[in-house]
Order: sequence, then structure tokens, then C-alpha cells
Amino acid sequence: MNGLDKRERALGAEGAEGAVAADRADGADRADVAGSAADSAGGSSAARARHPRGGGAAAGADPVKALMLRHRDLCERAVDPLEIAAGLEAHGVTDRTAARFRHRDVFSLAEEMYARAGRADGDGTPAGPPPAAGPTPARWAVRALLPGALSVLAVAALRWTTGEARPVVGLLGLLAVVAGVRAALGRGPLSSEGRSLPGPHDWRTPPGARAWAYLLVGYALLGDGLLHAGLTGGPDGLPDGGRYGDWPISLAPLLALALSCAPAAWSAHLFRTGVGRKLAGSRGLEEFAATARPLLLGVVAVHLAAVSGLAVLSAVALGEHSTPAATAALGALLLIARLLTVHGFTHAPGVVLRAVGWTEITTVCLVFAARLPGCGLLSQPVETVVSVGGAHAVPLIACGAGALVLLFHACRRLALASAHAPAAPRPPSDR
Amino acid sequence: MRIGLLTEGGYPYARGEARLWCDRLVRGLGQHEFRLYALSRDREQERAGWVDLPAQVTQVRTAPLWTAEVDGTWYGRRARRRFAEHYGDLAAGLCAGPAAGPGAPSPEEADRFRSALYGLAELAREEGGMVAALRSEEAVRALERVCRAPGAPRAAREARVTDLLEVGAHLEQALRPLSLDWCEAGELGSVDLCHAAAGGLAALPGLLARHFHGVPLVVTEYGVPLRAHYLGSAEAPPAVRALLAAFHGRLAAEVYRSAAVLTPGNAHVRRWQERCGADRAKVRTVYPGMSAARFAEAGERAPAGGRASGGRVGPGTLVWVGRIEPSKDLVTLLHAFAAVRLRAPGARLRIAGSAPDPEGAAYLLHCEELAGRLFPGDGTVEFVDMSGPGAPPLAEVYAQGEVVVLSSVVEGFPVSVVEAMFSGRATVSTDVGAVVEVVGGTGLVVPPRDPQALADACAALLNDPERRERLGEAARARAMELFTVEQNVAAFHRIYLEIAGRCPARRIAEADAAEPRPFAVPAELRVAGAESVEVTR
Repeated sequence: MNGLDKRERALGAEGAEGAVAADRADGADRADVAGSAADSAGGSSAARARHPRGGGAAAGADPVKALMLRHRDLCERAVDPLEIAAGLEAHGVTDRTAARFRHRDVFSLAEEMYARAGRADGDGTPAGPPPAAGPTPARWAVRALLPGALSVLAVAALRWTTGEARPVVGLLGLLAVVAGVRAALGRGPLSSEGRSLPGPHDWRTPPGARAWAYLLVGYALLGDGLLHAGLTGGPDGLPDGGRYGDWPISLAPLLALALSCAPAAWSAHLFRTGVGRKLAGSRGLEEFAATARPLLLGVVAVHLAAVSGLAVLSAVALGEHSTPAATAALGALLLIARLLTVHGFTHAPGVVLRAVGWTEITTVCLVFAARLPGCGLLSQPVETVVSVGGAHAVPLIACGAGALVLLFHACRRLALASAHAPAAPRPPSDR
Repeated sequence: MRIGLLTEGGYPYARGEARLWCDRLVRGLGQHEFRLYALSRDREQERAGWVDLPAQVTQVRTAPLWTAEVDGTWYGRRARRRFAEHYGDLAAGLCAGPAAGPGAPSPEEADRFRSALYGLAELAREEGGMVAALRSEEAVRALERVCRAPGAPRAAREARVTDLLEVGAHLEQALRPLSLDWCEAGELGSVDLCHAAAGGLAALPGLLARHFHGVPLVVTEYGVPLRAHYLGSAEAPPAVRALLAAFHGRLAAEVYRSAAVLTPGNAHVRRWQERCGADRAKVRTVYPGMSAARFAEAGERAPAGGRASGGRVGPGTLVWVGRIEPSKDLVTLLHAFAAVRLRAPGARLRIAGSAPDPEGAAYLLHCEELAGRLFPGDGTVEFVDMSGPGAPPLAEVYAQGEVVVLSSVVEGFPVSVVEAMFSGRATVSTDVGAVVEVVGGTGLVVPPRDPQALADACAALLNDPERRERLGEAARARAMELFTVEQNVAAFHRIYLEIAGRCPARRIAEADAAEPRPFAVPAELRVAGAESVEVTR
């Protein structure tokens, strides 16, 4: 305060009227300069009469303190004097007003206010910002339910139709479900909305990764039947859409996966809001990483349980013989890949999905290649696996391994704070 | 001369700020060649397209500030180390320094910021981009380190991870111009002069051109980006505000230091520039130019009109023109007018304006209601909507009033006051923003938020036609002298020539020979267009 007192004394020589008169000295109409100065002085005295604390000459009172009381919020939250100066100007304080407080300009007035406010609340620590509220669930919940509803309709239609209409119905149902999935992934927590900026990598889903994901789902639909038929000498024709034919299709995994879009969206939502809370609460990057990993594992576990339950339910409902483990592994793999993708890491999911897809394709190819003369040994490993775990063991092993690898990767990547960086705001303008 | 005009969120886009004066500048200086380098603010702006560009604009380069393509690959190990070093320096520069704030950073801090900024620019130039690195974990880690370092300001020490991320995202956006290829030899490297139409981010390419190629930089500021940042970020957490304010303060200081000439639009901006470390010797205030032609008729016949209205029964009409929003304080005006009616019975008030946003519309409704309460029944207060198709021409609105009044509590450059001055009308304004320097002695100025003072001044002018007329004439003379488009363009022309005279004729000399030859370039070449240079060679 000593410095401030000294400056106040030094500036005391320039009175309010001096500054006003000096600013008006360069007029064209001298007579009116006098008039306007008189008007202005009259105005100031009127203002003073109504705000006695505002008068610089008021004896005994501390005019700056009164001003600080009026702008208490501004003084308390300011991080430097210029912020107070900008705020004061926005409230109509000019250099002429500052002169009433015995300051040369708004900047020096703001400096005094900043110095005094800094002492006043020196011990108070501002609380952390409130956790960011997530988007309202209603918006995306309907979209997340869409694939499940469409697939139920498609399966029902497939059940009621027979004969030649069946492939057409199946194809239409498939297209509807794909459209539903696109809609579910386009908005809400499973989408990259709100990230108007790229992450460390490009955040758009690469077309290759999307194609491989569809291939894995297609294998769940057709692959087990084909593998089984291949090992037993078939198939003799294309699948007829039924479950007893030469090349049976298993609708239960498809139904379970489509229905699991809703729990997947919910899991992603949990992850997003949880991360938002942890980010706002953590004081350091290490602390954040340590809390983000359990959150990710928990979310994946919840999803795994949900897909398993749905797989069992749909198998029972459709009367199919199916193990939920393979479906659950595929569901977990797809969820983790999606989480990584929407956070900007598109490379690893693409690689893993491709690897899993090639594994499954190779398995089927080996079975058929073994029919060539002299190549009987080729199908030996597949036969061993199938004889131990059934036809479901192939996708279970492939997807399970892929999901584990991706989960390990996600535990490292999604625990980085930079993966959750917000989009930068629009720059403000002052023109 | 070849001039690189740098803009942000305005010209040449059809929507945005600073369109008009840039357009007038480019059209007014047809003897020069202009190259436009524009940063766009949002998708809507890009969709709205460009204005018509005159022939002297030979090249337009644009880049978005609102999104960024990921520029290629991860850096190699050496590049990453260099990035971490420079970015860490930059961040450390933001946290270091006394609590006095970014007003005028000490020379060491300024040096540190400068070397870090140009270090990053060189890295981005060599590696072909920097967006991915600026959003990487290394960047967040560097921010965390400096916030935890001893001596960091209290607000920065409190930073949470969200705050660090927000600061990082903002810095990434602010430093996007570093990733552009505008500073290559064929682009900004080969212009004679960079003219930034605004400070802050718009001037950043100019800084780089000066650093890499020694191109002189002129910075025009009609608003203060730093001040806008303070007002725009009031909701952000303290740590974010502290770090970003420091960044924008340092950037402004660097722009002011590097610029050959600074041209603030008014004294208010000049004060902020000087406060942020601008050297007074290179500051030249250039008032914005406004088209006087449409007010010519009203201005020329002002004296006759004044006498005619003096001969009328009533004392006359007060006119308010502008965008309707709370900061214009129409409530004070209405209360003041109630007091005016007591001293000048028969006076009328016309409020001509438009309320483009919902807040303004609500405020307009409030004001209309208040007017209905204060002046029931009679049409003494009239609201004129200037946005509709049937709106009267602006000049006519001014011509129909005897006194033009401005009641704002916040104002930058008071456009309505200048228009009133062009129309030869006496003005009563509140003492805000650049009002005093615009009005000079040609109108009455009263404190803001003071209905009694406003009423006294208005009544005094309404009851004294002689004085009103004298003030109106002086106002028109002053406006024609200071605020026309011609003076604005001429001022910039002079500044261009002045800089060309001071700086070596680098571009032509370089093209000519490996070693500089004295007197190889005659001085006249600087004034002529690029074609004549070719002919001479």
C-alpha cells in the first residue's frame, strides 16, 4: 500500500477538472467548449450529489473502496489489473471517471483495485469448476434403441415369411438394421460429435475399419454355420435364411448385438461423464490416468455383462443353440474400437479389426483348402479347436484376443488427458 | 508496391467484421497490388462467400480458424524434443512474471516468449505442420509442469486437468497460423509490406513474415483483441483466464514491438496499445473513414433547416440512431427526455434503430413499455424500425432531427455521432469510448448514466437554435476533415510510402543479383506497380 499511497499523492496534483478541460481544449468552437465543460461539470456534480461515495473530494470516505464494493465480483475474480480495467470500461468507467478517484487513467485505478482486492481474499481458494453436465439422454436414447427395434422386426418378418420372399425380406431387414446402426452411431456418446477438432489422429471412422466391423458381424451371422458345414462336407447351396438348412444362419448373435447398441451407448455415456468428472476433479495428469483406467475397465465390464445377458435372452427367444461368450467378446471388441475411434485414435482399432477379420477368413479358407488333394493337414488345427470348443470357439478366440489387445491399448491411450481435450472456443471480437 | 493484407474473420468474406474499410482501402489504393491472406471464423462465414474483389487483388489465400486438418504424421524423436522444449518455454513464459500481469512484460520475458514462438514457427515450417503436436500429451504435460513450478501465479497453481486442456485447446487454435504455408518465398515472403487489419491472430502471419523474410508490418486496430479476450472469457475458470490473458498479452506486446507502424482507430485503442508496450513513436492514430456522400444533402442544407425549425412552433426533435441493446442505455434517455419535456414542451424524440438479436428485442420491448408509461397517449416518442424494408433512409432520419443524442454506457467508435456530424447536426453524447475525441468541441458531452445531465444538455440545445446551428456547422467541418473515407485511405497511402522509404528494396534487389548493388533500384520503383518493375529490368 505504501507504493499506492505515494502514487496517489503524486497524482493528486491532476484534479478531475484539469483532465476534463485538457481533453476538450482542441475544439473548433471555443465558446461552446466552455459551455460543454460547464455542462459536464454540472453533470458531474449532479452525479456526485446522488452518489456521495463516488466523489473524489469527499472527505474521510474511501472512494476507491466504494467502487470496489460496487464491482466486487470483478475485483475478486480478476487475474490481473488489465482484466479489471477492461471490466471497468465495460461498465462505462472512463479516464475522466478515474480522475475523480485521483488516478491518471483507468489502468492505474484498476491497478490499485487489483492490489487491494488481492490482499482482501488472499486466503480464500476458489473451488474447482462444477463438473460438466452431459447432454440430455433423451436425444440419443431413442437412436440407440433403433437398431434393436429394427432387428426385432426384421427377425419376426423373417420368421413369418417362407419360400422365395425370404431372401428379399432378409436383405431388406439387414439394410434397415445397418441404417439403424448408422443412425445410432451418428449422434450421442457413440459419435464424435462435440469434437469439432481432430484428436491426435483423424477422428473420422476410416472406411476400412467400418467394413471389417461389418465383416465380423457377418461372420457371427453366417460363419459358424459355414464352418460346421465345411467340416462335415457341405455346403451344397447358399443359405436359405433358416436355421435347419444345409448352411444354417444364427440370428441370435445379430439380434443381441443390435439390441446391445443401447447398453453400448449408455456405457459410452457413463465413460464420457465419468471422465468429465475426473478431469474436473484431478489436479494432475497422473492422478487422472490412475482414475480413468478403472473407469474404462468398469464400463467395458458392464457392457460385457449386458451383451452376454442379451445373447442368452435372444438365443432363448429364437430357440437357437448359441453360446453367449463369442457374442459378448465381439460386442466388447466393437465397443472398445468405437471408444478409441471417437476419441481420435483410429489406427489401432483398424489394425485389430483387420487382424481379427483375417483370422476368421483364414480359418474358413483352411477348412475348404484341406479338400484339395494332399492338403488334408491344413484343416487339422481348426478341427482340433472345433472339436474342443465347438464352432463358436473360433470367433470367441479371435474376438476375445482382439478385444484384450484393444483393451490394453485403450487403457494406455484413453488415460491420456489429451484424448479428452475440448474444442477451442470461438475467438472473441472487439470491433 | 505489393501489399499482403492480413485479416481475421472479415474481408474478403461477405459476412464478418472490418469488411467495409478493407474494401475501401483496397479500392482506394488501386496503384498498389494487394494479396489477401484471410483467416475465417466459422463455417457459416465460409459458406456466405466473398465480396466482389477489385482487379488490384491478385491473390487470395484463406484458412479456417474454426477447424484444422490433422497435418500428417507424428514428429520424429528430435522434432518432438524440439517441440517440447519450445512449447515448454512458451508455457513457462506465460506463468513467469510478476503479478502485475501482462500489461508490459519485462524484456527477458518478452525475449523468452519471442524465441519460443519463432522456435515453434521454424519447427512447424520444417515439419509441415504443428496441429497434432499442439494437441498431444506432451503439450498438456508442459502446461502442467509450468503450473506446478515454484513461482507460478496462484490462479495457475490451482489449475485442474480440465483447465489445462482448455488452455491447450485455445493455444492450439491461436497457433494455427504457424502451420500455414503463407510465409514461403512466393507468398508473404515476396510482398513489400504486410498490413494486418487487426491485431492478435490476424497479425501472426505478419510476425512470421517479418521474422523469416524481414517484411515490414503495419498493424491497424479498431478494437483491442486483448480487451475483447478479457471481456469474452469472463466465464472461464481463473487458471484458464490467467494463462490465456498472459498469452494474449505477450502476443500483443510482440505484435506491437515488431510492427513498423501501428495505426489505432482511436485514442482509446491507442492507450491500450501503449499500455501493452507499444512505442509511442510508431503509433499513428488513423480514424476510420465513413462515407460522407449520403449525408451531403442533409449537411449542406443544415443551416436553412435549422432556421426553418427555429421558426416552427415546437422546439424540435431529438433523434437517437443505433443498434438497440442494453449497453445503449435507452432507459436513461427516456427518463432524461421526460425532464426535457418540462423545460422544452413540445419536444419530440425519435428512436431509430434495429434489434437484431433476442436480447436487443427484449430490451426494445422494455423501452417501448417504459415510453408508453412515461408519455401516455401522445406520439412524442416514436420508435422507427430501421431493419425493415420500409425503413426511411438514414440521412433522412438525421435530417429530420434538430439534435442527435447518444446515451450509451459502453461505446467503441460512435458511428451515429459521426453520421450526425456529417449531417451537420449538433450532438449530445455520453462520455464513453472515443466520443470525446470524435466530438471535440462541436457537441455537448455528459457523464454516462446521468439522466439529469443529459436532460440539461438536450434542453439547452433545443431552446437555443443559434448555438445549435453553430455547433452543427462546426461538427460537419470537423467530420469532413477527420472522418471521411478519403482521409483514411490517404493516411494509409502515406504510411505505406513512409515504410517503403525506410526499408530496403529487398525483393527487387534479391531478384536482381546475389550481392546487393547500390543504386540498382531507383526510388520511384517503390511507388509504381509490379509491371513497371518488370519493364525496367
